[in-house]
Amino acid sequence: MAQLRLVNVTKAYGDYVGVRGFSLDIKDQEFLVLLGPSGCGKSTTMRMIAGLEDVTSGEIWLGDRMVNNLEPKDRDISMVFQSYGLYPNMTVYENIRFPLKVRRVPAAQQHDMVMRAAQMVELTEYLDRRPAALSGGQRQRVALGRAIVRKPTVFLMDEPLSNLDAKLRVSTRAQIKNLQHTLKTTTVYVTHDQIEAMTLADRVVVMNRGEIQQVGTPTDIYDMPANTFVAGFIGSPAMNLIEGTLANGSFTAEGLRIDGLTTAHSGNVTLGFRAEDATITRQGGQIAAPVYSIELLGEASMISYRIGGALVSVKAAKDYRAAIGEIVEASIPAGICHLFDTASGKRLGAA
Amino acid sequence: MKNRAERQPLPLMLLCWGFVLIWLITAAFPFLWTLWGSFKVEADFFSYADWMNAVTGTRTIQQTGSAFTGAGYEGAWVEQRFWLAVINTAIVTVCVVVISLTIGTLGGYALARSGFRYTFWILIAALIFRAMPHVTLVSGYLLPFFQLNIWGYLPTTIIVLVAINQPFTLWMLHSFFLSIPKDLDESAMVDGCTRFQAFRLVIIPVMWPGVVTTGLFSFLLAYNDFTVTSMLLTQENQTMVPKIASFLGTVQAENKVMYAVAAVVSAMGPLFVLVLFFQRQIVSGLTAGAVKG
Repeated sequence: MAQLRLVNVTKAYGDYVGVRGFSLDIKDQEFLVLLGPSGCGKSTTMRMIAGLEDVTSGEIWLGDRMVNNLEPKDRDISMVFQSYGLYPNMTVYENIRFPLKVRRVPAAQQHDMVMRAAQMVELTEYLDRRPAALSGGQRQRVALGRAIVRKPTVFLMDEPLSNLDAKLRVSTRAQIKNLQHTLKTTTVYVTHDQIEAMTLADRVVVMNRGEIQQVGTPTDIYDMPANTFVAGFIGSPAMNLIEGTLANGSFTAEGLRIDGLTTAHSGNVTLGFRAEDATITRQGGQIAAPVYSIELLGEASMISYRIGGALVSVKAAKDYRAAIGEIVEASIPAGICHLFDTASGKRLGAA
Repeated sequence: MKNRAERQPLPLMLLCWGFVLIWLITAAFPFLWTLWGSFKVEADFFSYADWMNAVTGTRTIQQTGSAFTGAGYEGAWVEQRFWLAVINTAIVTVCVVVISLTIGTLGGYALARSGFRYTFWILIAALIFRAMPHVTLVSGYLLPFFQLNIWGYLPTTIIVLVAINQPFTLWMLHSFFLSIPKDLDESAMVDGCTRFQAFRLVIIPVMWPGVVTTGLFSFLLAYNDFTVTSMLLTQENQTMVPKIASFLGTVQAENKVMYAVAAVVSAMGPLFVLVLFFQRQIVSGLTAGAVKG
């Protein structure tokens, strides 16, 4: 089975640790997304799975084989690179056929396999062209076609959409999702774009500074962030985070007091809530402060306040209007709040 | 019609054309003059009386009955056995080019893909060796070569020429390889290539213009070398350039100088053919960066 298992995988460059103790089981046919800011070790992790980077310590298992010491070609994977990695001297057809040719697939089958892959990525009209004569999106599809032309155990995709323009990104994203669904191949996908992660993933791994911050379904990650890093990274806008103190179920910060939090903790905490969970209210809101700015998003209006040092956003109805500086109240019921320990950043249970 | 922006003032045009003309005359005239003169007798081409004799060929007509004579060529090729020098040159240049390119591509690739810091120092060392006058190497080699009794043979010269040429090929190919993104190797390896297959099937085809350009420079070095070949080869193993020099130096008798002139013209031929033949690759190699995915 195409199961991928990483056990305590670590990558160090001298004193600098790129990836620290990465352990994860990736199920057969799963679409797993590694998400994090640049330099968080997500690409390094993928490159270690591919065999392009040596593992400093730990084990990588592909099915029942330990692949640590195998060459990339012996790992039965295929990979899509951010810069596509197409062979400029070959036509689209030859590019897609290349993996078959090198792996000595019988010549009689090659043509059918190439044509099937080309059809899947909608490139049949461009087979005679060289990569230089293709647009960015088409090049990306050639790279995809080359990855799917044989049936590898695992697909690896390293930020495949980041060189495309916004509109193309959306359609190619849907195409990748559909391809993976059709081919049912275990996929590991690296991105720094949380929308890509949310839309594509069965499970998301959020990484920061070489360590896993949280593993879970997109819903888990969004609704139950494990720490302030995940809370502040996922969502657009990210979760509002306000530092303050907690005592007897009441959270207080400069200009803000929320009662009725069902928690036994006390002390310095960070309170988080999502902009769309809070509402603008006429009176009795937990926040009553001057509007710092109002942004019209089309489907909603975003009101922001300055509370303490933090910028706090609240989503209002799309026809809501307020002047900057006007005092507006926002209701933040205890039920929508997440509590994190300020010192460690970790989520505090039962908010 | 040319638009306004492209039209240039007359004085500037004249200046440009004048400059090109001057350059053309200084660069091309000696060649044309030699080519023309190689078909005359010495008394014309090196005339004391009147330089116009070289153009009109007065003495040539007196001596041979025709305005053009192949006597210089005949003397050089047949009498002085210039063809032997041609064969020697062919052996030396082909070997030097093949060996330099083999080591250069493999080494340049390794240096370009290696993440270690010592690659920088290797390249700096290569640059220093390249900058040294060729004669330094030769003088150092002479004594051991005599003692080992390998002086005078073609392989010895080939090794020395490769040693002189290698730093340059390494540098040049190294920078060509650097312009090829690493992703290309990596996708080839993921697609099922070994490191060497990736190099041979993916990188070298893309690198071709660079290899041709570097090969041409190696060829020119071996072809034109005088210092090494004149000092390390016996009379019968000499290549063209020292052979021509020996025509000028020792065979000073009447008419023999024309042998040198004829040999010089013969030696120029292959260069023109080569440049014409590889022109496209050389240009794309020199303008580099031709490797955009």
